[in-house]
Amino acid sequence: MASSTLSKIMFASGFVMIALAVGWWKEGQRPTPIALTPTLTGKTEYCLTCHSDLPEISPSHPIKTFGCVICHGGERLALDAHLAHASMRGGNNPSDLSVVEQSCGGEACHSGSPADQRDHIQRVKTSLQATYTGAITSVLFTFGAQPDLTPRYATRTVEDENKTKTGISALLAFSDANQSNPSIQKFAENCLNCHLWSNALPGPAYARFSGCAACHTPLSHNQPTLSDAKSTPVFVHQLTTAIPYTQCNACHNRGNYNLRDMTFQERTDQPSDRLHNYYQPIAQFTRCEYTLDCIDCHTRIEAMGDGDIHPNQKEFQYVRCQTCHGTPTTLPLTKTLSDPKDIAFRLALLNPVVKLNIGDTILVTEKGEPLWNTRVLPDGTYELIGKATGIHFNFKPVMGSGCTQNGQDQSSTYCHQCHSVKR
Amino acid sequence: MRPSFFHHLHPPTIPAQQSRWRYTLGAGGIALFLALVLGFTGILEMFYYAPNPQDAPLSVQTIAFHVPFGWLIRNLHYWAAQLLVIFSAIHLIRVVFTGAYARSRRFNYLLGMVLFVLVILFDFTGYILRWDIDICWPLLTGTNLIKTIPWVGGFLYMLAIGGDQACTTAMLRFYTWHIFGLSLVFIIILIWHIFRVRRDGGIAVAPPPYRRNTTRIDRSELLRREVLAMLIVGAFLILLASFFPAPIAPAITGKPDPAAETEAPWFFLWVQQMLKWGSPLLWGVGVPLLFLVLISGIPYFLPQTDPSELGRWFPKSNRAAQILLAAIGTLIVILSLIFLLTRTKI
Repeated sequence: MASSTLSKIMFASGFVMIALAVGWWKEGQRPTPIALTPTLTGKTEYCLTCHSDLPEISPSHPIKTFGCVICHGGERLALDAHLAHASMRGGNNPSDLSVVEQSCGGEACHSGSPADQRDHIQRVKTSLQATYTGAITSVLFTFGAQPDLTPRYATRTVEDENKTKTGISALLAFSDANQSNPSIQKFAENCLNCHLWSNALPGPAYARFSGCAACHTPLSHNQPTLSDAKSTPVFVHQLTTAIPYTQCNACHNRGNYNLRDMTFQERTDQPSDRLHNYYQPIAQFTRCEYTLDCIDCHTRIEAMGDGDIHPNQKEFQYVRCQTCHGTPTTLPLTKTLSDPKDIAFRLALLNPVVKLNIGDTILVTEKGEPLWNTRVLPDGTYELIGKATGIHFNFKPVMGSGCTQNGQDQSSTYCHQCHSVKR
Repeated sequence: MRPSFFHHLHPPTIPAQQSRWRYTLGAGGIALFLALVLGFTGILEMFYYAPNPQDAPLSVQTIAFHVPFGWLIRNLHYWAAQLLVIFSAIHLIRVVFTGAYARSRRFNYLLGMVLFVLVILFDFTGYILRWDIDICWPLLTGTNLIKTIPWVGGFLYMLAIGGDQACTTAMLRFYTWHIFGLSLVFIIILIWHIFRVRRDGGIAVAPPPYRRNTTRIDRSELLRREVLAMLIVGAFLILLASFFPAPIAPAITGKPDPAAETEAPWFFLWVQQMLKWGSPLLWGVGVPLLFLVLISGIPYFLPQTDPSELGRWFPKSNRAAQILLAAIGTLIVILSLIFLLTRTKI
């Protein structure tokens, strides 16, 4: 009996040795951790173990300073992909508006004070690109669900803590739950995809993230645009203020809403060049509208809001031809940079297509926003440097040009009468 | 061969018939081995575990991902704990289904029941010590159940949690209970339990006139068999630990969120199922306590095993006890299955 048990013990010992060898082998299979201790947090994280191939997201967010976890969340010590990613904020997009405050906020970051213009998050959440209130108001009024065009609803409940100049202190979250009109229900079903809270419609042509990354994480420049709409979009790990017009196109140049059946009708044309790359066949353009990028003229406040709740795009968008060109009787507004803390320097630093110096004279808008990528040249003409392209453009003021326009009429159709290009 | 310390822990000889695997199932010995594994791996984990809410889940991740062989130690600890519940239950079933608790052994049966409850408490407190989002529901539900007990609920809650909320104070309490409080009681009662087995005459066996087989094996053979069991279970444990990692989830940030409903530990799924039916006092405390009292009372309330039937499976004389335990066991399995089959998420 003893020898029988002993032989079983020998056999079981072999079994234990095999099990230990398996454990040893599994230990060897573990990835070699790559540690990073960002100076901002001082807490070691191991994301680079798998993600060392990712490019640094922007020069303003150096990885040695920020690391990954401060923005993305996640389990900083985990070396298992599932666990490491399980608590990431907003999935792969920490700038989604539902989590942006935790990811990008903070007084020293993007929810600082309006005085030093670091209140990006507050402004974006009340901006028209997030509230979508103009479209909601129009539809509700058109289909008789509200008696006038006073804005009442937005994509989410939103309040303006500063009690705005516009008189709109709050908007309620729009819901079709109490709406009996089928068109409004269809609108809710089909048409609430074009705002910063929402994810993009399916399809490579609409590819964008939600929140800040909708604009600031554009498709790779080498990736498909309209002419290559069927290929898979590729986003790169990037935050940039040099946003190309193609990124704006993901929302703003995709097709039309059919107000009869409340469906979105995707454009079907295949434009061969940028001049024809606009879905309204009857629209007219001047040269600058198809050679510049959208952000070369439209300002950060127009895109991201000014902290007030505004009723619709028409009343808020304010940059016009005269902003850069003036009128027959007035030159465009300019400003000579004298304060090193001027916001223009910060903006130029973020997107260094131009080197601004104290003493440079740049154009400014009626609201005082610096058009920091412009400057007044010694001969009295102006220069604009493309924010996304770096291309230099020269242009002249209207004054002294022989233009006979009525300076008070700044509607696009008015200027287009003479300056549109043939399509 | 001169007997070693380990030989002296055993009786010189034991009946051959009752020392067979198919009689004892090796459950008591294996449970003891698992308890030793738990003590050893637990001590190793203590070198890295940080018992405060901020650092606890991170220290668990450190053990799981950064300490050399830490993952293996943690997984061994986890699987040994699960197997301990299973083997303790098997040991209980064996004792009841062979009627081995008779007469003089019924006090030791109670000690065994206390050990079984302690094992459950060990598992529960260990589960909580992960302090990740998956422990929220069991933590808050489990501790709030204590509050529903009339008269002493508040006191017991304070004893377990140490404050009015299951957060910081609870963490330290659970740690202390797990490492020190429960361990101390467990070790004392375990030694007492083993001592009583020896004192009560070793493995339960029929008196000589009723024995069909009177052969005995000596303690060297018994020790060899124990070593064999340890080797087999040890190898199985290592393989389990190598291929099936212990559960881990993202750290709790802030206070535990009861909205993030998750599952109770597997041995409490039947309670979680009953809690869906309403009264926490009735279903969460009353019924489990009733089951415990019924099982613990088997040697006291139900007919004793006839001595002539001792030392074999399914004696007729304690059929009532077998039926009672089988009924409760089946109910627990069915309730757990209902929970698993009707759960919506996770």
